[in-house]
Amino acid sequence: MALLELRRVSKAFGGTLALRAVSFELEPGEVHVLAGENGAGKSTLIRILSGALTDYTGELLLAGSTCRFRGPAAARAAGIATIHQELSLAPALSIADNLLLGVPGPLFGLVDRRAARERAKKALARVGLDLEPERSVESLSLTERQLVEIARALATEVRVLVMDEPTSALPAPDTERLLALVKELAASGIGVVYVSHRMDEIFEVAARVTVLRDGERVLTAAARELGREGLLRAMLGREVTAPAVAAPRAARPARLSVKALACDSRPALRPVSFEVGRGELFGVAGVEGSGASTLLHALFGDGPRLGGEVWLDGEPYRPRNPERALACGVALLAGDRHESVLPSQSVLENATLSSLARFSPGAFVRRDLEERAVRPETARVRLKAASLEAACAELSGGNQQKVALVRCLLTRPRVLLLDDPTRGIDLGARADVHALLRELAEAGTSILFRTSDLSELMQLADRALVLFDGRAAATLERNELSEPRLLALMMGGSS
Amino acid sequence: MNEISRRPFAWLVSPQARPLVPLALVLLLGAVLNAHGAFFEWQTQRAVFREIAVEGILACGMTVVIIAGGIDLAVGSVLALSAVVFAWLTLPHGWSGPLAIVVALAVGAAAGALSGALVAFARIQAFIVTLAMMVFARGVAKELSGGQKISNYVQAPDGHFVNVATPPVFAALDGRVLGGQLSVVTLVFAATVLVTWLVLRRLRVGRYLYAVGSSFEAARLSGVPVRATLVFAYLLSGLFAALAGICQAAQETHGDPETGLGYELDAIAMVVLGGTSLAGGRGGVCLTLVGALTLGYLQKVLSLNAYSTELRLMLTGAILILAVLFQRRVNREG
Repeated sequence: MALLELRRVSKAFGGTLALRAVSFELEPGEVHVLAGENGAGKSTLIRILSGALTDYTGELLLAGSTCRFRGPAAARAAGIATIHQELSLAPALSIADNLLLGVPGPLFGLVDRRAARERAKKALARVGLDLEPERSVESLSLTERQLVEIARALATEVRVLVMDEPTSALPAPDTERLLALVKELAASGIGVVYVSHRMDEIFEVAARVTVLRDGERVLTAAARELGREGLLRAMLGREVTAPAVAAPRAARPARLSVKALACDSRPALRPVSFEVGRGELFGVAGVEGSGASTLLHALFGDGPRLGGEVWLDGEPYRPRNPERALACGVALLAGDRHESVLPSQSVLENATLSSLARFSPGAFVRRDLEERAVRPETARVRLKAASLEAACAELSGGNQQKVALVRCLLTRPRVLLLDDPTRGIDLGARADVHALLRELAEAGTSILFRTSDLSELMQLADRALVLFDGRAAATLERNELSEPRLLALMMGGSS
Repeated sequence: MNEISRRPFAWLVSPQARPLVPLALVLLLGAVLNAHGAFFEWQTQRAVFREIAVEGILACGMTVVIIAGGIDLAVGSVLALSAVVFAWLTLPHGWSGPLAIVVALAVGAAAGALSGALVAFARIQAFIVTLAMMVFARGVAKELSGGQKISNYVQAPDGHFVNVATPPVFAALDGRVLGGQLSVVTLVFAATVLVTWLVLRRLRVGRYLYAVGSSFEAARLSGVPVRATLVFAYLLSGLFAALAGICQAAQETHGDPETGLGYELDAIAMVVLGGTSLAGGRGGVCLTLVGALTLGYLQKVLSLNAYSTELRLMLTGAILILAVLFQRRVNREG
């Protein structure tokens, strides 16, 4: 009998099916890897296991009996512990207090300090940490925090441990340590559901692998039998084919030369060098934590630059802040929507924010100038909004993204930096954005775009830089681009 | 939005009308109680407009700071400081009125700019910075005045106390215009509202203020000079507090280091009653004007009908909560 079983589980968000009749089994003592591209349904499945999503169809069986958790606490009580990508420790509290948070008890129950300390010591020992339980969590390294999080999960009885990309933010040597712990826990009889984007890791820990694609289970196989090729093929969903090779465009004069640019903001960027030509669509591929976002922000003057040189159209380019970068003709569309639009401001106010000086000669904002400039741009990106007065928060995600894009366009950028420009937007809006980017590149704008979606990269990029763990894994020409190769590089394999 | 417009009395909950509802209720209460008709006299209205002026000026600056996502607790103390500076320069030192006004305004602006710089550059929370400035400015006011009210009864060089003539600027600021129908401080308040409106709705920096309050990160990544914008917000608040302090000194005909105690809370109450959210990024000075009128009329109605101060305080607190609850309920429905 399987320790944990999902039977034909489906879950829809609005009109789209995130999971379609997915079945999944986990044996005790097994590390079972969940793999799939972004949007394949992995996080939905994890949220069901952890009790965060309760309105799904299908069955969840724990040790043979059907369960339907009312919430995360119920799943936890049943023995399913989940470690999410964003850690859930209270940074200002001590390790002992954080471990106490995992233990259920009455709200006004007394805390036995000594017992808590002893228990914390024991829990820390179990994950191989020798730390004083009084230390505050914020004083710990990222790896230590990750281990404390696991210790907390183990503080009460655990039968199933769900881990969502636990190593994505860890440096390489610590990854080994964590993987060893995962194997050890499995050996003690716990069933582990493990999500990862890293090829080496997957084949190091996995007994079995289940691949999800577009919300469906593609296959479940023993890791040994599947092999790397098999995994890539299953994730992509088709045979590996040569890409449609676009005719190589005429050699382009360089617009942006980056030499050994390094950054220590998190995730860090090790020295990276590349060149982007005029009117080139330059893809930056990399999973979350690979340093791709850091690269775009560094080019935008956001975050400390450790070293390296950047030349823009032959001039040294070293912006102190985003304001300066914009003045030099470099615009950024941030990946996090909270950083790209102002929710309570109107479409018009959002659109002109980065180029307001042009619309306010003598400090007074000229509404007529603004409208004259914004209307053609909103039409060009096919923005659907009630009016230019509508607050951005009222728009759909795709339209908010278009507003942010208009804001960038109105600065008439020479270089456009886009951080996952089509994340979370529907297919129609995505096609609009793609068409617009091609048009802009045709007109001479150089575009650097990060994406975690390979098909997008294949469709748009003239060339691509692949980052893994803060390092340039490869720079690929158009005729070298292929999805399996990109995916392998993004997951730390060789091409 | 469409949902609402189909319902009867929909205009009652439209965003524009929302803050007017508490004001209308207070006016209705005044009209019903009316204190033997006294409520309907122009004299009463005029008194309300004069009484809300000083705190209303503070509320204008407070609106700007709150829209930018901050708070300024120092306005009451900065008011006292500039009242003392103004009185100190004009009465014992005999400076001319206009010059003293300029210096007092500069002192207020400097205090505000210092708060703003600490918020923007040292990244200390606005609540803490302005709390410290509140205590500090009060200390400077007391130091400068020796803890005494600075009046026209001053010590001459020979050690005797003499009465000096109060400069005409005091009478001018405390006077009335339009044939005695409107107080000068009311006009100053109106001008402050107008200037604030221009800043928020017409100037480039106004857009920046809303942007910073709406999302600091998004504003920064959009190239908004976020730090300069924050400094400007607190500077303006300090400047308006100094203006209010000069009006206060003129009305009291002395500079009192103890004046303006708790005014910052009334100013915040006016902003909130108008419906400007403390979360920042929303609201406006017209709303604050409505909030100031609501608070002013409430005080007037209760005092006209001889309700006790105790009851007045309790009712003011209750109405503040009710008004905010009402606005939030409506927001959720919208």
